[in-house]
Order: sequence, then C-alpha cells, then structure tokens
Amino acid sequence: MARPLIALEGIHKRYPMGANEVQALRGLDLAISPGEFVAIMGPSGSGKSTLLEILGCLSHPSDGDYRLDGRSVAGLSVDQLAQVRGEKIGFVFQSFNLLPRLTAIENVELPLVYASTPRRERRSRAENALARVGLVDRGDHLPSELSGGQCQRVAIARALINRPSLVLADEPTGNLDTATGDEILTLLHALHREGNTILVATHDAKIGTQATRVVTIQDGKIARDENREAAA
Amino acid sequence: MVYESLRQALRTLLRHRARAFLTMFGVVWGTSAVIFLVSWGDGVRTMLEVGFFKTGKNMGEVWAGRIGEDFTPAADRRYLWFNLEDVEALRRRTRLASRVGAEAWEMLPAAFGQRALTVDVRGMEQHSQEIRGVPLVAGRRISQADVSHRRRVVVLGDRVRRKLLGAQGGIGSWIRLGGKPFRVVGMLRPMGSQLNQDRMQIDDQVWVPISTVHANWPAWWTHEPVVSKIIYRMVDRHQVDAAEREVRAILADRLQVSATDDEAIPIWSSIHMLNQIPVDQTRGMMWTLSIATLVIGGIGVLTMMLDAVHERRHEIGLRLAVGARRRHVLFQFFVETFAITALGGLMGTLLGVGGCWALTQLQVPDMIPVPELSASIVLGALGVMGSVGLLAGVIPAWRAAQIEPAIALRQE
Ligand SMILES: Nc1ncnc2c1ncn2[C@@H]1O[C@H](COP(=O)(O)OP(=O)(O)OP(=O)(O)O)[C@@H](O)[C@H]1O
Ligand SMILES: [Mg+2]
Repeated sequence: MARPLIALEGIHKRYPMGANEVQALRGLDLAISPGEFVAIMGPSGSGKSTLLEILGCLSHPSDGDYRLDGRSVAGLSVDQLAQVRGEKIGFVFQSFNLLPRLTAIENVELPLVYASTPRRERRSRAENALARVGLVDRGDHLPSELSGGQCQRVAIARALINRPSLVLADEPTGNLDTATGDEILTLLHALHREGNTILVATHDAKIGTQATRVVTIQDGKIARDENREAAA
Repeated sequence: MVYESLRQALRTLLRHRARAFLTMFGVVWGTSAVIFLVSWGDGVRTMLEVGFFKTGKNMGEVWAGRIGEDFTPAADRRYLWFNLEDVEALRRRTRLASRVGAEAWEMLPAAFGQRALTVDVRGMEQHSQEIRGVPLVAGRRISQADVSHRRRVVVLGDRVRRKLLGAQGGIGSWIRLGGKPFRVVGMLRPMGSQLNQDRMQIDDQVWVPISTVHANWPAWWTHEPVVSKIIYRMVDRHQVDAAEREVRAILADRLQVSATDDEAIPIWSSIHMLNQIPVDQTRGMMWTLSIATLVIGGIGVLTMMLDAVHERRHEIGLRLAVGARRRHVLFQFFVETFAITALGGLMGTLLGVGGCWALTQLQVPDMIPVPELSASIVLGALGVMGSVGLLAGVIPAWRAAQIEPAIALRQE
C-alpha cells in the first residue's frame, strides 16, 4: 500500500453547547491513499461534515493526530491552515457557495487570488478549469444566471484550480434533482479516473456504488469500511 | 486586492441601496454641516472685524465730556475739551498706543452749483488719516503742507461726492463749505455701513486740514484750537483695557481731572464689542455640533456594516476555506466601510463647498454674513470624517476576521 495521503488517529471533536458539549467525533481512525474515491456515509448527525471539517483543515481536532501528506497539522497556526487549504484542498459544498456578485470565472479564480497568482495566469487556468467541467462559454455569467447543476460545476472547477491533493465534497448532489446529480457524479468519477483523490460525504447510496471505498460512520466512529476496488 | 475590495464595497452599497443611502446621508450631512457651519461662523467673524475696523483698525476713540458726579458736586460739573497740545502730549507719553491723531468736527452746509446739503466736516491731519486708513479712489489725502498752510482743500466721502458733485464735478472742482470755496483734491472709497461709536459714516463725511477748521470756524468759547476727538491705534488689541487706562491717565493729567473719571474722558474701543461676541466659543460649538452629526452618521455606517458581516458570514467562510488569511478578510471589510464613509464624506464636502460657494455668489447686503470657506476647514472636516470612517471600519472588520472557516460547511 502506498504512503497514505491522509492518516487520522484517535480523532475526537467536541463542540461546546452551552454548559455541556457535543461529541461529534469520538476516536476515529482512518487512512486514505492517493487516488482513492471514498464515500463517507452515515445517518444525519453522525459526524460526516465534522470529519470533512477536520480533513479540510477548517478546524483542529479536539484530540488525536492528523497527518496530511505525511505532515502533522496539529501545530499549524490559523494562517498556516489557510495556506494548506489554499494549496492542497478543494471544497465542493451542498449549496455550491458561489459568491453571488462574482461571475463564474471570477468565482473559479478566487483561490488563486489568495495564492497571489498573477492575473494573467489566473485567467487562463480558470478558463481551463471551466473547460474541464464543460462550461467554457459561461465564464461571464453570474451564479443567478446559471442552473443548479451548472453552479455545482463552477464550484468543482473552483475546487480543482489549485490542483489539490484532495477534493472534499459535502453532499454535492443534495440540492440537485436526480438527473443533474447523476451528471455531477459522472464528472466526479471522471476526475477520479484522471488521478484525483476524492472524498464525498453523502446520504446518496448511488454515490456509494460509484466509489472505490465506502466508509460508514455512526455516532462519531467508523462503523464499516468496505473496499470496492472492482466497482471502478 | 485593493481593487477587488473597492469593487466589493460598491456592490454592497448598490445591493443595500435604501439603507446605504440613509446611512450615507448621515455622513454626507455631517460633512457638509461641518464645512458649512464652521465657514459661516468664520464669515460672521470676518464681517464683524471688517465692520468694526472699517473706520480704523484696533482704534480707540477719546472725546471730552463733563467731570463725573462722583468727583465734584453737580453744580460744579464743568465741560471739558482737548486742544492740539493735549494731543501732542499724549503722543509723546503713551506706550500702549502706536499712533495718536486729532479730529475737529463741524456740521456745515456744502454747495456745488445748484446742489446743496449739510455735511459732516472733519478736520484731519497725517496721523488721524493714517489711523482711519480709508483708501482713496482718486486724488490724494490731506497733506502735511495742506495742514501747515491751512489750505482750503477737501477730500470727499463717497455719498457726498455722488450727491454733491454728481457727474459734473471731479478732482479739481471747487465746492463751498460754510460759504467758503474749497478745492476737491481726493475722493474716498465707498465704505458702506460701519460699526462705530458715533454712527457717523465715512461715506457722509468730507475731510479738510484740521488747521483750516481752526482758522475758519474757531470755537466760540475759547481761543484754543479745539480737538473734538482724539483717536489712537493700540499696539496690542489684547491690551485694550490697559491702553484705555493709560490714555485716560495721561489726558486726565493734562485736564486736571481724576485719572479714573470716565465721564470726563470717555473712551470707546470697537474691540470691546468684538470681544463680547463669543466668536471662538461659537466656532467650537459649531465644530462640536457637526462632529456629533458625523459621529451619528458613523454609527449608522457601523451598524450597517455589522449587519453586512453577519449576512455575509457564509461568504467569509468560503473565502477562508479557499485560502484567504484572516488579514485578507479584515482588510476587505475595512476598505469597504472606509470606502462608504469616504464616498459620503466626499459628497458632503462637495455639497458643503458648493453651498458656501453659491452663497458667496449671491449679492447680499453689507451686514449679512456669508460663509468664509478655507482649506483648513475642508481639511478638518475630511480629517474628522476619516477618523469616523476608521473607527466605524475597525469593528466590523475585526468581527469579520473572527468568523470560523468551518461555517462554510454549515447550512442555515
Ligand atoms: N458548530 C457546531 N456546534 C455545535 N454542534 C455541532 C456543530 N457542528 C456540528 N455539531 C453537532 O455535531 C454532530 C455531527 O454533526 P455533522 O454536521 O458532522 O453531522 P452530519 O453527519 O454531517 O449530518 P448531516 O447528514 O445532517 O449533514 C451533530 O450532533 C451536530 O449537531
Ligand atoms: Mg453534514
């Protein structure tokens, strides 16, 4: 087995809730190798989004060790975490999270703006990314002028623009009808075949059938972990 | 980044048009109020100074009265007068007056051709003309030679010139004063209304050599050359009271009266009235009022931006998720707030400056003050506005930078 891209050991996440606290993750171990397409499944409130939050370096775990690319993130400052996010991680969200007052191509460029990439390079890379998701001619449109599926494609282009080591998607089809959801799924699948490592948190059993691996969480712990190499 | 932030600011404004308009109105109003009110206050001050100083800058006027009741029994109260020697003595001995001049006063009929009127004739000399400082529009002043030779020459005030000479006469014309011929050698500039002690307006006066008055119209009660009024210019306007005391003491010594008898020797200095008007306090109050308005406008901007930060917390989370540092978010919101304040401030400045300018373009009567705009007022207003913008910008920006990036994953 290749060196894991992600190594989680004994991860806990607690949220303060007034006087007491919520235990969202309780001692979770997980290793993911480059090139995997992992579906994280589980009932609502089981901790899927919380897991992505930790994996995406959006916050530190309350307890446990997280190594990304062999490097522990525990000691990193707020700004260093932001840099890791910008360089290594692409996010796709259920509600797309496009900035409504920026055009599609400006939305795709956003991670490069914070990575201080020169304007010219930004534009050409954003055009390529849009082309990759099949939206070459929609660059000038505002999100309000695009369909839900198109918005999610723009978001995927944005996630890909930094050539991330890891693409994290939280319910990417949750706000889409079945047909459009399938299109997005096909796109994720194609990206996986091109060598991207993809993690999708979802209720959608169909995604489970597409993934190379299905991890099921229950009450903040891994309940099941199935490899389905054959499905690819 | 700056460009991007400015664009964002504009978009925020456009999206919250009604609210942005209302809050910006506060800043616009505040800034223009600062400029307008303070300029107007300065205009009032200038108007007063000009009004008071038209007939002599930092001038004190002294005339002779009667010995005060406190100093002698009512039956003995004699009338007093000054002569030229008193003026000489004062000039020699004073330290707080830089110039001392004499004026002799008569009301006399004046005639030119078919026209005649009664005029206020002032016998003048070098010093008194210097203190009065009225500019000429034509000809010359009463010269030392005119005084020495008791010449019958006259300098006309503007209204007398228009009423008496009209279009027919000019420099070199001959008029009659008290039946005697005088040659016109100069004309005074129109002075308009003045604020002074005897309410006599320069425009209604004619000036002749003081020696000519003494030679032609001597006092009926004495052979001395009588001086109706002594005028002096004080060295320092802040020492107005000391100057009055000194001048009164010197003249009292000459007239053998008490040095504190202000009925015997009344003095009037226009500075007193100017000092009674609390110009500086008024200015301070105007600044305070307008700054308060600006601060209220700033609070409006502050709450609007705090709302905006809350509304846009998901946007902020997203920016953080794709690699924005906290300082990027801080900077963006700071620039947005500052841009809104600056925009309002610039509009207010234009409004205030425009308003002041429009008023100065109007033809207003002499005694209505117009705002007096100065660079320091505009800079001051912009400075205050800038500080308000900074303060209003810091808090929302700080709030925005505290938002957790994980919010990007959370749905409402
Ligand atoms: N910021 C937070 N503060 C407090 N509690 C939280 C917070 N985020 C998540 N939780 C709690 O942590 C637990 C796990 O939440 P999480 O969002 O990870 O579940 P999920 O599996 O993504 O659910 P869903 O399928 O509904 O998206 C839940 O009980 C949730 O209420
Ligand atoms: Mg979730």
